[in-house]
Amino acid sequence: MQDKQFMKEMLTDGAHAYKEGRMDRRTFLALCGASGVALSAVMAGDAEAAADHVVMWNWGGQSEECHGSAIGDAFTASTGKGLKFDTSGPLEGKIKEMVDSGNVTADVADADLFNAVSLGPTGHLEPIDYSVVSKDKTLPGYALEYGVSVILYGYAFVYDTEAYGDNPPQNWADFFDTAKFPGMRSLYKWANGSLEAALMADGVAGDALYPLDMDRALAKIKSIKEDSLYWGSGSEAHSMCVNGEVTMGMIWQNRGRNIENDTDGRFKLVNNQAMAMPGAYIVPKGNPAGAAVMQFIATAQEVPAQLALLDCLGMTPSNPAAFGEIPEDQQDYAITSAKNIDKIVYNDPEWWGENGGDAVNAFLEAIS
Amino acid sequence: MADLANTGSLQIRDVSKMFGTFRAVDGVTLDIERGEFLTLLGPSGSGKTTLLMMIAGFLDITQGDIALDGASIADVPAEKRNFGMVFQGYALFPHMSVRDNIGYALSVRKRSASEIKARVDEMLDLVQLQEFADRKPTQLSGGQQQRVALARALCFAPPVLLLDEPLGALDKKLRVEVQEQLKDIHRRVGTTFIYVTHDQEEALSMSDRIVIMRDGAIEQVGTPVELYERPATKFAASFLGKSNFITQGDKTYALRPEKIDLRLGQGGSDARVSGTIRSITYFGSMQRIIVDSVQGDEIEVDIDVWRNQEALTEGAKVDLLWQEAAAVELHDT
Amino acid sequence: MHALRKHIHPGWLIIAPLLVLVVALYLGPILNILWLSVTDPEPGFGNYAKLGESDALLRILWTTVRICIITTMFSVTLGYSIAYAMVHCHQRQKNYMLTLLLVSFWISILVRTFSWLMLLGRKGLVNVTLEDIGLIAEPIAFMRNEFGVLIGMIHYMIPYAVLPLLVSMQALDKRVMDASSNLGATGAQTFWRIYLPLTTPGLVASTLLVFILSLGFYVTPAVLGGGKVLMVAEYISVQLLVTLKWGTAAMLAALMLFGVLAMLWIMSRFMKLSTVFGGAAR
Repeated sequence: MQDKQFMKEMLTDGAHAYKEGRMDRRTFLALCGASGVALSAVMAGDAEAAADHVVMWNWGGQSEECHGSAIGDAFTASTGKGLKFDTSGPLEGKIKEMVDSGNVTADVADADLFNAVSLGPTGHLEPIDYSVVSKDKTLPGYALEYGVSVILYGYAFVYDTEAYGDNPPQNWADFFDTAKFPGMRSLYKWANGSLEAALMADGVAGDALYPLDMDRALAKIKSIKEDSLYWGSGSEAHSMCVNGEVTMGMIWQNRGRNIENDTDGRFKLVNNQAMAMPGAYIVPKGNPAGAAVMQFIATAQEVPAQLALLDCLGMTPSNPAAFGEIPEDQQDYAITSAKNIDKIVYNDPEWWGENGGDAVNAFLEAIS
Repeated sequence: MADLANTGSLQIRDVSKMFGTFRAVDGVTLDIERGEFLTLLGPSGSGKTTLLMMIAGFLDITQGDIALDGASIADVPAEKRNFGMVFQGYALFPHMSVRDNIGYALSVRKRSASEIKARVDEMLDLVQLQEFADRKPTQLSGGQQQRVALARALCFAPPVLLLDEPLGALDKKLRVEVQEQLKDIHRRVGTTFIYVTHDQEEALSMSDRIVIMRDGAIEQVGTPVELYERPATKFAASFLGKSNFITQGDKTYALRPEKIDLRLGQGGSDARVSGTIRSITYFGSMQRIIVDSVQGDEIEVDIDVWRNQEALTEGAKVDLLWQEAAAVELHDT
Repeated sequence: MHALRKHIHPGWLIIAPLLVLVVALYLGPILNILWLSVTDPEPGFGNYAKLGESDALLRILWTTVRICIITTMFSVTLGYSIAYAMVHCHQRQKNYMLTLLLVSFWISILVRTFSWLMLLGRKGLVNVTLEDIGLIAEPIAFMRNEFGVLIGMIHYMIPYAVLPLLVSMQALDKRVMDASSNLGATGAQTFWRIYLPLTTPGLVASTLLVFILSLGFYVTPAVLGGGKVLMVAEYISVQLLVTLKWGTAAMLAALMLFGVLAMLWIMSRFMKLSTVFGGAAR
């Protein structure tokens, strides 16, 4: 697989050299012949690289529409390039597979910042060009070599007001206290957020979580296993609450508002100790649009784009300049609003990038 | 084994079978004697198989009664009737050996292994399949399968054996051979055989009595000779053998083609009919001659070749002669 | 060349390109998986050694096999009864049943899975009704556990179990059963000694089909198991997509492949597999 990647790079370079007159036609054709590639294939791939659009790889649904209106329009206005979508979901394995196969069709993936830590050093990502993208327009520590956080989402929880009445749960310690707060809980199945919540519930301070004490976290998780369900997607987390399967549910904070609405306020969002997760843009190695994608990422960092994403998707701004602009009706839901920002804790993408795989497996093994 | 000496007579009393509004069997009354070889003969749709299935117990009787040795069996389920049956296509158990097929009836009756083995060996002898005992049915020829089916049906010494077109799947030459074997086995076991076929030659050569069926009802019952020599109806005459029909006044007579003699020239005083030869077909031992009579009838004449000294040609004028008794008056004009 | 022609039917030459393509497309990925399982992350049998080291992996495999066996037993038993009823009822009812079966066959697995939640969840129709009429005080935990996974999987698998059985039963000569009862066998004797043996190829085909399909189940256990019922297929997918442990994933995939092959091999010791897959019974 690495060989194929090398071959393609060599040929693409060759194609450039040939076009610019640095390589004669015969040499270039010999190069193509040697690697068993038809000339047209390389030239076509090259032509694609000069495309007039960038391809965003995300999860589809509403986010396609929102990314278009919040970032795409401004990007097109300033660069004249369009925005297209691949909505198949940029999971880490799929990015790796795409780059390894040498057939890279996406320019920017709507992923997690820890993906930048795990995929960057293995040669699967393009470095972020910080002459175009700004390190100041995101939170400190969230502008990394191979990825930059453009939004935040968070792990918070909702609870059933009818179940707990006048004495509602207020933090992760309450969430894990099944004696004081009986009822079923739901947690994220792929470890992220669940481990941190468990440690905070066990008394670890929010700014002293990393490196995660896995044994301690898993012990806490297991202590409420009998009263827990685990969800793998946002819609599943949503339906577990709305269908009354749980009385307390860990959720992605941007879902909180919908759950409150869909249960007519019976469920209530708690953002105290919410774990801020840096959602990031990362660029697959050898992306077809080349450097133009950096302009797109820079556009996403601007305050108007940040506020539009909040409005459209409920994703919280990560550009500190936008924090003060969060509108009144989003104060309760956006985790970096003036109302919430002092209560939240921050995910460490470095730890997750390096240990995430093992952590997910250990977590899965603990809950199954 | 049951004593077959005094069991095996069947009494069928006014039996009908309705499928919805369709009357498949219509008021059949028939007495079958112990040890008899009785054939139900008729075209498809005549109700012969339906009647057989009611006797076997696979179909309920809509109306009437069937009795074995005078005792009604209408309410006895098939598996309790103890009638043997040879099915069309044989319906052998494909997953069992020949031995297990034949011994099945005794095996489900929980007889001892030694008794089953002895009886199966006896049956294998009867149908001469000793060396095939351990084969599967699909490894046998059609004729051999037919014999396995027969042995399986006779193994538990049933008072009555029902055979549903058992030779239908065999080629003509083999069929004649198996007919002989069947008759022989019938003589040896003494069981009542009720045999369904649409093949008139088979019926004639094997049966003690034949029942000709038509549209669910009995057309005529009799020995092969009676039915051939004295058919009662046009249908019986034409279904069993060939027949000419001659009308005189308001009466119709059946006349077998081989009972007519033919003489060149016309106007003989003993001639019954005169006519012209339309066609001659040569069959080796006999020739078939179609004559257009002066009355406008078409008459078929079968003549042994040796008897025919004068050369016959198409278009020749001829007289037809027959004995008075050869023309049989029919009763269904 | 002439000698070769004598032995090779010219028809093979016509299908040869296609054959090569099919073999390449099947074998290529399989060999790739096997290769990955001994090379990623490092050459050797380290991935396979994990089976001996990790209780968790063995537990996941055991969960998978257990659920698949139970699912297969119930789906095939229920499928057998349904196929039997379909073959032996009137044509009109049979068409009706076939339509229902195919409709459920065609409904997306997600829809079916979530429908079970609607019916049997904590606040589902059944629990709410039972609570309303006072039969139970607390909701019964039908869903979000192994029991729920089994309900969902058995339901999903029944059509797969029925179809091979239906084909096998329809092909039976009804007269063979008549012959059995004519020879004095009771209904039960006819079933055990004739009907069941003659439908065994269909039964085996249906069992193999359901079991092998169950091994690859993913959505239903993930949703109805409430995250606690982890089966191999889901674990492989997580290793491929999330934790990037492709070697582990390849090892487990290879293990499943060999497991299925071993099963077919054991089966072939007892019966001709060609009869199971539609060949003539001999």
